[in-house]
Amino acid sequence: MSSPSSLLPLEHLHPALWRAHQLGRGREAVQASGYAALDAELPGGGWPQRAITELLLSRPGWGEIRLLAPALARVGAAGRGVLLLGPPAEPCAEALAQLGLDLSRCVVIRGDDLLWPLEQALRSGQVGAVVAWAPASLKGESLRRLQLAAQSHEGPAFVVRAEAAAAHPSPAPLRLGLAGAGPDALAVRLLKRRGPALEQPVVLALPPVLSRTARQRALTPRRTRTSVRALSASA
Amino acid sequence: MLWIGIHLPALSLESFIATLAPADDGPDEIGPVALVAHHRVVAANAAARDCGVRPGQKRATALALAPHARLGEADPARDDAALMAVAHVALGFTPSVSFGGDHVVLAEVQASLRYFGGLPRLLQRLRAGLAPLGHELRLACAPTAQGAQWMAPGHDDAEAAPANSKADWRARVGAVPVARMAAAAPHLAALESLGLATAAHLWKQPRAGLTRRFGGALLADIDRALGDLADPRPALQPAPTFDSRLELFMRADDSAALLTGAAVLLNRLTAWALAHHGLVGGFELRLHHESRRRMLEDPASRTTVLEIGLGEPVSDTAHLHSLLRERLQRLPLAASVIELSLHCHAITPGAPPNAELFPSAASVGEGWHRLLERFEARLGAHNIQRLQPVADHRPELATGVRHGGDAPSMCARAPGTPLNLAAPSGPAATSSGDPAHWPRLKRPVWLLRQPQPLRDEGGTPLLSGRPLWLVAGPERIEAGWWDDGYAARDYFIAQDNDGALLWVYRFRRAPEAGEVGWYLQGRFG
Repeated sequence: MSSPSSLLPLEHLHPALWRAHQLGRGREAVQASGYAALDAELPGGGWPQRAITELLLSRPGWGEIRLLAPALARVGAAGRGVLLLGPPAEPCAEALAQLGLDLSRCVVIRGDDLLWPLEQALRSGQVGAVVAWAPASLKGESLRRLQLAAQSHEGPAFVVRAEAAAAHPSPAPLRLGLAGAGPDALAVRLLKRRGPALEQPVVLALPPVLSRTARQRALTPRRTRTSVRALSASA
Repeated sequence: MLWIGIHLPALSLESFIATLAPADDGPDEIGPVALVAHHRVVAANAAARDCGVRPGQKRATALALAPHARLGEADPARDDAALMAVAHVALGFTPSVSFGGDHVVLAEVQASLRYFGGLPRLLQRLRAGLAPLGHELRLACAPTAQGAQWMAPGHDDAEAAPANSKADWRARVGAVPVARMAAAAPHLAALESLGLATAAHLWKQPRAGLTRRFGGALLADIDRALGDLADPRPALQPAPTFDSRLELFMRADDSAALLTGAAVLLNRLTAWALAHHGLVGGFELRLHHESRRRMLEDPASRTTVLEIGLGEPVSDTAHLHSLLRERLQRLPLAASVIELSLHCHAITPGAPPNAELFPSAASVGEGWHRLLERFEARLGAHNIQRLQPVADHRPELATGVRHGGDAPSMCARAPGTPLNLAAPSGPAATSSGDPAHWPRLKRPVWLLRQPQPLRDEGGTPLLSGRPLWLVAGPERIEAGWWDDGYAARDYFIAQDNDGALLWVYRFRRAPEAGEVGWYLQGRFG
């Protein structure tokens, strides 16, 4: 009888195999998120391609675009298109350009029925990356359709949903909960991934909005905050 | 010289079937169909023949045999339009194409053989090019135009080796029955009674006597077929603009029926584009409605015009078809449609797309444009937006929106000059390195369409009852004194109770009593 140590480790048999305490690697290439701390926790080391990634957040404005920006910028730099479906507000061109997105390859789709363009975009395989803000009425059935369609989509596909959706099961292999973690920081909870559960959220430093002094000011306790008048005077 | 004769034995029937809506029990199941001219059946499809309908029968007899048969009037103009499409496809292979009478198209391909890789390859591509038109084909190759015209209706043997010697060709021409010769049509009975059934029988007779009895045309045609007499054929020139119409046999009330008819026209359109070696940049489909009394007053309401423009000119029907489907599906029909016509004036000279095995950068870009065109056709141009920074300090005007998939000059909302932001902090500068050390973001990603008024409590703005803390600012924006949108505002970055960053402003001048002091304009997403 051979000793267990001489056996080939199970996870080496096939790329789709992993042990419960390990992080899945997946067979597909991934798109690096640009955040080393996040890549270390994502199966395969980046945003999955050919699959839906769910981002759950309570309301827009936590830094979700800044989280996705490095990946979207890389997609644009590779000469592929980026689709933004049903964004929650008017996107600011200057801010997107400053985050590195190639605006000539970036298209915003609006309308009442966004499931159709989303599914078509995923199915066509011609889009580099998709970010869709799902309506609250998005059903699990539709998500399954999208997940199937995403199999021909060569690139990351993000569906932004309300936080309440975390209670419902989803076919997406990767689900992240986003919440603020102070100024210019984002706490990413890995709600579902191919690998062991992660108790602690990953806190990421986002591309900054505030200068160093302003961040110090934002971090000081509320009581000692400066008033507008003092702020104006110091400026 | 190498002529290909293309004969369409069932052209009249097929061009009529194209005007029929697909039957409910499946698109392939057409049912008995027959064509009638002067109250007599002139052609019947297989299903009608199974019921006993034969050419020559009276209309009433045919209806008695097959009560559910659809009988249509033979229409030479309809046949000519369909034949023209076949000629257009042939023009994609050679510039010398002509009509050979009685549903035959002749194409001289000797000079094209090398380019298309030999006769078998050329025939294969010709058949593939003709396939979308959906006609039954008979092809024949011959060294003379007249010969091809006579051989083509025989049987489909174009792939057989062409005649390799003069004697061989003479034997083949000799076997052509007189019934196939147009010049012999008035004399068929006389020729039969004389026992002259084939071309060989004719040329064995004394020429002078034959010419006196049946005219010179018969023998001249045989000489042309043998190559003894010059046979110049005028080459067909494709029309500079495309206009084709299709009268529907039954009124179309839904988009499915319209699409079936439009598909026929689209196939003709791409054949015409092929003849020009060009790409279709857009077209116009007109739906002619059944006229009702209330419509008579307004002739414009009798026609619905659908204009479809393409960002990137294309040459394949499938994409045009999918665009049209999206448009037709969301088009409310004012009345039943009885006729369709398709017009195209925009042809772009261009090489046909390469048939690549692996996708290249060019084909990926093409797929992206096509996807956007489909979105535009279905969702409308106003729902497809491209963003562009504009040189204006007022945030609500600093983003220009261009509608539509691709056309750069469609309708821009921005009054200002577009800004080119590529260089200073462009993708190259920011997409590498730790995002935490990227240059400071100066504007929030999300801008509210209408700034949201905030309650003011002792100089602190309140958002849904909770105070916002100002952490950076002010940034003064004073602009628009030259137009109606004068703005003098002090912008602050504020932090809410949960730590999210917001962009708020107040007017530079002190607010008057009862006026809202603070506004929320953006969120740093």
